[in-house]
Amino acid sequence: MARSGKKTGQGAAGPERPLFIFPAWADRFGATLFAVSMLGVAFASFVAVYYLAPQTLNVNYQPVQPVKYSHKQHSGDLGMDCRYCHNTVERAAHAAVPPTQTCMNCHEAMNPDSDQLLLVRESNATGLPVPWVRIHKLSEFAYFDHSAHVTRGIGCVSCHGRIDKMEAVYQEETLRMKFCTDCHRRPELRLRPMDKITAMDWTPPGGDQLALGMKLKKEYGIDPSLECSTCHR
Amino acid sequence: MPSVNNEQNHNLYWRSLDDLADTPEFREFVENEFPGLAEQMRTPVGRRGFLKVMGAAAALAGLAGCRWPVEKIVPYAHRPEGRDPGNPVQFATSLHRGGAARGLLATSVDGRPVRLDGNPLHPSSLGGASALDQAAILDLYDPDRSKNPVRLSNKRETVRTWDDVEAFFKEHFAALREKRGQGLFVLSEATASPSVARIFPNFQMMFPRFKWYEYEPLCNDSERQGSLWAFGFPFRTHYRLDMASVIVCLDADLLGAHPQSVALTRAFARGRTADAGDMSRLFAVESSYTLTGAAADRRLAIPSSGVKAFALALAAELFVNIAVPLPPGLDAIAPVLKNSAPHGFDPDFVRSAAHALFAARGRSLAAAGPDQPPEVHTLCHIINAALGNVLKTVTYTEEPFRNVESHAIGIKEFTDAMLDGRAQTVLILGGNPVYNAPADVPFARALKKVPVSIHLGLYRDETARACTWHLPAAHFLEAWSDGLAYDGTVTLQQPLIQPLYNGRTTPEILALAMGVRPFDAYSIVRKSVRTHYFRIPGRITKDYAEQFESFWRKALHDGVIPGTALPEIRPGFILPEYLDRLAADPPGGEFEIVFRQDYKTFDGRHANKAWLQELPDPITKICWGNAAIMSPATAAKLGVEKNEVVRLEYQNRSLELPAHILPGHADNSVTVHLGYGRTHAGRVGNGAGANAYRLRTQDALGFGRGLKITKTGATHILAVTQDHHAIKAVGEKEKERRVPLLIREATLAHYREHPDFAKHAVHHPPLKALWKELEFEGRRWGMAIDLSKCTGCSACVIACQAENNIPVVGREQVIHGREMHWIRIDRYFRGDPAAPQIAFQPLPCQQCFNAPCEQVCPVAATMHTSEGLNDMVYNRCIGMRFCSQNCPYKVRRFNYFWFHPGLDDIGKMKFNPEVTVRSRGVMEKCTYCVQRIQRAKIHAKNERREIADGEIVPACAQACPAGAIVFGDLSDPQSQVSKLHSHNRSYAILEEYNTQPRTRYLAKLRNPGEDARG
Repeated sequence: MARSGKKTGQGAAGPERPLFIFPAWADRFGATLFAVSMLGVAFASFVAVYYLAPQTLNVNYQPVQPVKYSHKQHSGDLGMDCRYCHNTVERAAHAAVPPTQTCMNCHEAMNPDSDQLLLVRESNATGLPVPWVRIHKLSEFAYFDHSAHVTRGIGCVSCHGRIDKMEAVYQEETLRMKFCTDCHRRPELRLRPMDKITAMDWTPPGGDQLALGMKLKKEYGIDPSLECSTCHR
Repeated sequence: MPSVNNEQNHNLYWRSLDDLADTPEFREFVENEFPGLAEQMRTPVGRRGFLKVMGAAAALAGLAGCRWPVEKIVPYAHRPEGRDPGNPVQFATSLHRGGAARGLLATSVDGRPVRLDGNPLHPSSLGGASALDQAAILDLYDPDRSKNPVRLSNKRETVRTWDDVEAFFKEHFAALREKRGQGLFVLSEATASPSVARIFPNFQMMFPRFKWYEYEPLCNDSERQGSLWAFGFPFRTHYRLDMASVIVCLDADLLGAHPQSVALTRAFARGRTADAGDMSRLFAVESSYTLTGAAADRRLAIPSSGVKAFALALAAELFVNIAVPLPPGLDAIAPVLKNSAPHGFDPDFVRSAAHALFAARGRSLAAAGPDQPPEVHTLCHIINAALGNVLKTVTYTEEPFRNVESHAIGIKEFTDAMLDGRAQTVLILGGNPVYNAPADVPFARALKKVPVSIHLGLYRDETARACTWHLPAAHFLEAWSDGLAYDGTVTLQQPLIQPLYNGRTTPEILALAMGVRPFDAYSIVRKSVRTHYFRIPGRITKDYAEQFESFWRKALHDGVIPGTALPEIRPGFILPEYLDRLAADPPGGEFEIVFRQDYKTFDGRHANKAWLQELPDPITKICWGNAAIMSPATAAKLGVEKNEVVRLEYQNRSLELPAHILPGHADNSVTVHLGYGRTHAGRVGNGAGANAYRLRTQDALGFGRGLKITKTGATHILAVTQDHHAIKAVGEKEKERRVPLLIREATLAHYREHPDFAKHAVHHPPLKALWKELEFEGRRWGMAIDLSKCTGCSACVIACQAENNIPVVGREQVIHGREMHWIRIDRYFRGDPAAPQIAFQPLPCQQCFNAPCEQVCPVAATMHTSEGLNDMVYNRCIGMRFCSQNCPYKVRRFNYFWFHPGLDDIGKMKFNPEVTVRSRGVMEKCTYCVQRIQRAKIHAKNERREIADGEIVPACAQACPAGAIVFGDLSDPQSQVSKLHSHNRSYAILEEYNTQPRTRYLAKLRNPGEDARG
């Protein structure tokens, strides 16, 4: 019987078809595929965790704001205190973005025709708000209270970075839970005198934050809570 | 297995008839922590049929793309002074219901109201708020609310604008003005607003021939008539329960269904603690079980139609046997009473009540309910006057709005006018007469004959859909108004938010009709206050404007104008012309039907409020529907079991309802609650229950005899929560041998002999912990709940739901036992099933120091704080539910589903921003309102001061009308909660498990009197 390179089907009623036989290397294919896909899953997880982590997504987040307000110019060069505009920070949970009228306090007279302030003037005239883009945001199941921190010796710069050097604000720290609990565990590494809360460039005298921090911790009676309901309600 | 007739069981608390009978089904039910789950796991869950709270719109899309969504910060352009974003602010306002204003404190965050509480300065509230008051915030954000004017013509409904409405009004009412108002008929809800009432004379001048009627389905016609017969004038009766040591309620639910029930509960609760030595005594005579009956020391269950005979018996006992002198001019009554037929009631009860009233004369009172015929009210007036109670425990004032005639007659006349064509233009200002007019008044049919009918209302309800025009009304939180409280105190209503949907108020509609410049509600109210209530001592000086301004601001701030309560009167009696009514009614029919105001939907207007639909009725624990409530004996006679649908036929009209068997209900009487069976309430209310108004005729507004009951053979499972979360004691035998009483109760006499009875009710060996217990210094939060004061009104349940964003799960899930209330009110029966007593126990999380739930959480999602709170951390929870399994009190709730799908922006506004909104798969429970604790702690620390006792008030404690819940710091021996914890009546439940709960209860006291049996 003549034989071709391929085997043929046995006893088929229809036309003959070549029988497919897996090549030898197919024996190891399944295992290889499994190993590769496990590696792939691991890689994908790593990518997800790394790139979706707060450190990656939040730090340096610098959205474009509707008005090109420069903190560098106002708090840095002009030396305006943070609390002039964010005036609720010592009594409320939110350090509220100031209303348009705060801007108009000065800009009624200063640069009244500047193009950059067009949106601000429109807002002042119509009563509609300026739609700022939010940068620092905690998860909604975490509740942060500014007044509890600002009135107890934590400076603005500790969490927000050198705002006075930012033309456009970006997020300096991750603000994830570890960031908060690190300080709650060792507040002495961050404490500063009450009158230096808004001083962005303050350094502890003699460079010894630990000593000063321990002293202030005792003086101010700082005992930050690590209990869950402090922030999670 | 203990049987029902076992005498020993009569001292045991039982939760329901199933519990008492201890059927195998019940035990299995109790043993399953999550009943029905095993079955569900076998058969896959098909369509989830639970009613969604707000909105069934498409679910929110997930994250779009790979970047976080951009969130905007939107500050004010001009921030009002003192307004810090994110900080809640409180304003005093009020809501009107049933012709009286109720004082409220509304909490507003960032310009939207999120909570309603009682106004401590208001006489009808005194800080407490009922469940109905607090839930009133829901219809502000209700997506079913009417948003636009609607025109109905040729059976087609078209949405219109207010410009169209104004054009129509201009043309139509100009023509009416020409005719001097001929054919104009106005039907409104009961007015509470004096300034609106003052518009009507102007209206009258412009339309001299117009007719104005008022209609409320729950009206006080009987009280009016009773007063007219007694005094010749329709006076309003007021009760001072705190001055009364003996109270007899004749079908009068003062603690639950009276317009002043919040203030009355507070006053009543003051006399229930026996701390000053004595305690009040409450006798209740009623057919169905009400909150007043549950609080009563002695109760007699008789059909409502028999209460009149009881009143006659009581009067006979007082005026004939005890020979109390009748008030002058009423001597003709004595012979009538003497000759009255012998009553069939328990003579001991009648004698006790009469003697108690007499012995405490000057400090006693008799009250009649609105469903009773006028002669019962008259008798109560006579009794109170004869006993010298007037101006002491009972006072009278004028009715503030004098030109209100009988509502029942009014609606009949109005309908007749529509039927015979006299009414050509009908203006319906609020209310829902198509739904709730008496069954024999063909309001809906008559309304169709009227060519122009205009309805002003919050919803496009049954009446709106029958009118040619529907106009959306403004919510009370969106509008200015004034109102008179039940005692006449002037109460101001101020808006907290701009009208969301362009709704308008009654004065604005009247102004449209009159064709005058739109009345500005703010100016009307201000002018009204200045003209009528602003009083300055001395002469008007040039500082008048300033003085008024500060007066006005103070009035707005407080919400009330003090000193404006109606003056109290001691009325004199007129000659009796009702003597023929003082004979007992002839017997009529074996069964009676009783129509009751519902504790949740009121008269049906709240049917679309999910919180209220899901709130278990305080007595029957039914939610999402109503039932034909009857006694066990009646059910046995009829061969009816629970959940069997029966047909109720009354005067050739019929209604089908599932039966619910309530121990303690009067025999041969069936109670149905009004306010269900709505067809156009909205997506929550439609289809819940059946419409009892279909049986309620003009002569049977309260009750009627001659009811026929037949079985239909169908079943409808009622969503009843009474057997959920049953705390099962260890072993049946242990239950008999060593009864761990959850409710410790004693009579006053027993308490006097054994002041420590509460502590000695349970004996257990010394408790030892398995491991070394932690000790903390500093604050220890604790709570005390006084069961003597708690009336079971469930205001705390709604307060908690509002404060903590607790979801509503719908009827099906409630049947599975998955209702989410963090605090529940357990209702226990005690005693003979034919005449049991009811005791209530509010049960929040006990914040156990040695918490069983904390010990079993694998991920440490529930932790103990150094201040004694049992924290629940939603973001850590993985949904294992072991904690709930381990909790002996069963106070933990699990989010089986995502209960807030499809919420639009308006629907989200009702959430309290201080509390996380939980997603599916996490456990939740009462936190002692940790958000309020944290807020107080932060403020105190910022201000460098200590937290004062009473500064932190959890939502339940704030709402409780009786002041039964007290919260505070146990480490402070002077705090109120410490004193209550060391009270001799205090005990903790299940303390033999060594859970060391931080909530302690104060045992319940009853005062049946030495002459009572048992």
